[in-house]
Amino acid sequence: MTLIFRMRSDLAESVRADLRRPHPFAFERVGFICARVAQHSSDGLLILGYGYHTVDDEDYIDDPSVGAMMGSSAIRRALEIAYINKVSMIHVHLHDHKGSPRFSSVDLTESAKFMPNFFHVVAHLPHCAVVLSADRAIGLCWRPGRAKPSYIDEITEVGAPIRISTKR
Amino acid sequence: MDRQFARQQFLGPDSETIFAAAAIGVVGVGGGGSHVVQQLAHIGFERLLIADPDHVEDTNLNRLVGATWQDVVDATPKVRVADRVIRSVNPKANVTQIHDNWQAAMDALRICNILVGCVDTYRERDELERFARRFLIPYIDLGMDVHKLSSGYAIGGQVVLSMPGQLCLSCMGIINEERLAEEARKYGDVGARPQVIWPNGVLASTAVGLIVQLLAPWHVNAIPSVYLEYDGNTHSVQSSNRLIPLTGSNCVHYPADEVGDPLFSQRASPS
Repeated sequence: MTLIFRMRSDLAESVRADLRRPHPFAFERVGFICARVAQHSSDGLLILGYGYHTVDDEDYIDDPSVGAMMGSSAIRRALEIAYINKVSMIHVHLHDHKGSPRFSSVDLTESAKFMPNFFHVVAHLPHCAVVLSADRAIGLCWRPGRAKPSYIDEITEVGAPIRISTKR
Repeated sequence: MDRQFARQQFLGPDSETIFAAAAIGVVGVGGGGSHVVQQLAHIGFERLLIADPDHVEDTNLNRLVGATWQDVVDATPKVRVADRVIRSVNPKANVTQIHDNWQAAMDALRICNILVGCVDTYRERDELERFARRFLIPYIDLGMDVHKLSSGYAIGGQVVLSMPGQLCLSCMGIINEERLAEEARKYGDVGARPQVIWPNGVLASTAVGLIVQLLAPWHVNAIPSVYLEYDGNTHSVQSSNRLIPLTGSNCVHYPADEVGDPLFSQRASPS
């Protein structure tokens, strides 16, 4: 099973621009990319990001122990978007340095808590969490029927230049 | 860096890794595509998907890179000739041969990071671009033709980059309903189209330059949309004037959300 996530580079750059905006109290921002899916080869998945939904300032919880903590309203809105449009949802945040990013232990713990909720509204599609850096990305993918996520094998920003981040 | 690539270090310290990782699809490995795959192998591309339903014929030998008389005798599939050329340069290459119409292997071609079309008809160009846009694949189109003039012939051609989110072949006026209808009307009446090796070489080299520039840019000027016209009579390649009035325009033919498979559903299976 090879997992590939692609999005246009103009979308990726607009996501980075949104995530770089300072927040009144949160140390970082989060957002959601919506995506459609296709199969590739015999068993691979191609996840194609096409739109972005920002998380409003008031939908963050003031929790100094983490970079950003979404409130229930933020997650509820993301679930609504997934349900109405029948799309995959990609939770995204930014580690603003060059080179390959990594998930922190908090990232892994928190995403494992809320990502499976998307299967309650769109059970037939995969859902992902992606960390962008200034020029690379890394991602985890939750697939229907599987409790544990898998690392995304390839994340590509499609534009000029084409940026390909591969699973290490 | 591998000594094999010592002379292309200016493409960046990661270029070798980037070229080895990128999957390039080449549809049509005849006159144009055979040049393309040969150059990609020299540069260090290792993941190549090549599609062509044809076999080598005697009329191909004037331009098909790598083909021999024995291939004519054996009616060797063109994809096998291309595979042989690629592996003779780069034995590590992972070549997927699609000895069929490319539409028979669309699932496999979806992994491509760049798709190159070396096809003869506007209908095929249109279908390839639609496919590429749906799966967010930059599409590079090559085409050459020879036209009869009142005094001699005109050799012409084009290399076009259709980047998702940017101008498409329809925006640039390369594909339009009149052209598709005219082609459909003449279907089966194409005859033996003139083709020679050197324009194919120019066009293929230009396309390969675009591929390398997209993956390992050696200068800062971005190239979101490209429409290069080749004039084989003056031996020149220049940006098409058709791009000038389109500056700042957005593509209206391919909405951002028309991606993926609208009917896709993954059934839950046990971990």
